[in-house]
Amino acid sequence: MSGLLLQIEGLRKNYGGRRILNIERLALHAGESYVVTGDNGVGKTTLLRIIAGLERAQVTHYQFEGRQVSLENFPHRLRQEIIYVHQHPYLFKTTVVANIGYGLKARHLPKAERETLIKEAMEWAGVAHLNHVPPQELSGGEKQRVALARTKVLKPKLYLLDEPTANLDAEARRQAIELIQRLCLDNNCVLIACHDYELINLPRMRRMTLSDGRLLPQVATASQERTV
Amino acid sequence: MDLLQPTREAFSLLFTGNPELWRIIFISLRVSLIAMLVVTPIAVAAGFFLATVAFPGRRALVILIQGLLSSPTVVVGLLLYLLLSRQGPFGSWHLLFTQEAMIIGQIIIAFPVVVAFTLSAVQGADPRAHETAVSLGAGTTHAALTTLLEVRFGVMAAVFNAFGRVFSEIGCSLMVGGNILGLTRNIPTAIALETSKGEFAQGIALGIVLMAAAFGVNYALAFLQGEGGLK
Repeated sequence: MSGLLLQIEGLRKNYGGRRILNIERLALHAGESYVVTGDNGVGKTTLLRIIAGLERAQVTHYQFEGRQVSLENFPHRLRQEIIYVHQHPYLFKTTVVANIGYGLKARHLPKAERETLIKEAMEWAGVAHLNHVPPQELSGGEKQRVALARTKVLKPKLYLLDEPTANLDAEARRQAIELIQRLCLDNNCVLIACHDYELINLPRMRRMTLSDGRLLPQVATASQERTV
Repeated sequence: MDLLQPTREAFSLLFTGNPELWRIIFISLRVSLIAMLVVTPIAVAAGFFLATVAFPGRRALVILIQGLLSSPTVVVGLLLYLLLSRQGPFGSWHLLFTQEAMIIGQIIIAFPVVVAFTLSAVQGADPRAHETAVSLGAGTTHAALTTLLEVRFGVMAAVFNAFGRVFSEIGCSLMVGGNILGLTRNIPTAIALETSKGEFAQGIALGIVLMAAAFGVNYALAFLQGEGGLK
């Protein structure tokens, strides 16, 4: 197994007096792919958002690459390493190119280097032909691929993908799964929250189930999770 | 009353380049544009801050800002007059009856308009916009600018709305400007004066400019919004 990338212990999250997450330990290793399944509303999205530092929670121990992290004051450095992709990705009202290059610009990369990386990412995601289409006019599947390209171009150490195939038609879903599979096979650390049977059953995918706020090693069978 | 004759004279005044008339138009534009240039960055930042940062007293401040939207410009003029008059705390600055005093007055009038509309635009923004920016590694300022850019049509509407209000206000300009010809006489104060003197031609000419500016601002907004205005 590869090196430990992320380790969280004692994660508690309450909503309106109800404890929705009560996780003793979560460990993710570099180069491994993970999927979290569980019923709707069980807290999968919340878990991903907490890991990404977008939501507060009580955590006794949050460690990334061996360094202790405070969720109260989430370090900007980690924003460069951990990227969360919404279930319905938000594309800025600019252009597809500007969307994919957004994070590169935030990292102050030179223009020429940005252009090369954007081109590669667009080809990787099969969205090069969408160059001149306003992002608001893209289909759900196209938006998802642009969002994946926008994330991949930054080479994060941890990808957090929230229901990446939800509400996509068959073809768009197939394309998204293909991209995610390539991400996983390229030894990226990917954590996916989903119900999608095909994603759950991707090769080398490590499975976890979130139930009553607790994270359990996979116990559900693929047929139980099949909702597509 | 015969309206045709003064209207004809009004167009003649406009198109023959009557210097007095164009000086009034220039003063109006100068004062209002400077006021908007000063107030816009501060008020947009304040609106964004109010929309995104929780602090004690925030709600009271929002209510105050919204209340100030309907504050009569003449009251702003009165308060400013008291502050700038010779016996006032800022009397030594000798700003009363100057364009600078009019600019300060218009800044005060425009501020709550831009803040309140920006606040509303940012509150209506998709929360995923800011989260996506942050998640992709944008710093605090970069993420804030991204969110403002995403709601740019709302923010632009705030700025144009405020411009419309200050460009056509009369109460404050009259009180702190003094309606001095060639110095502080702007379009609204001139219209009031000329009408009271029975000089309708100049009043109508200035009214045409005021209306043209109002329509121009609206057309500019519609043009800039383009397809973005469509739902």
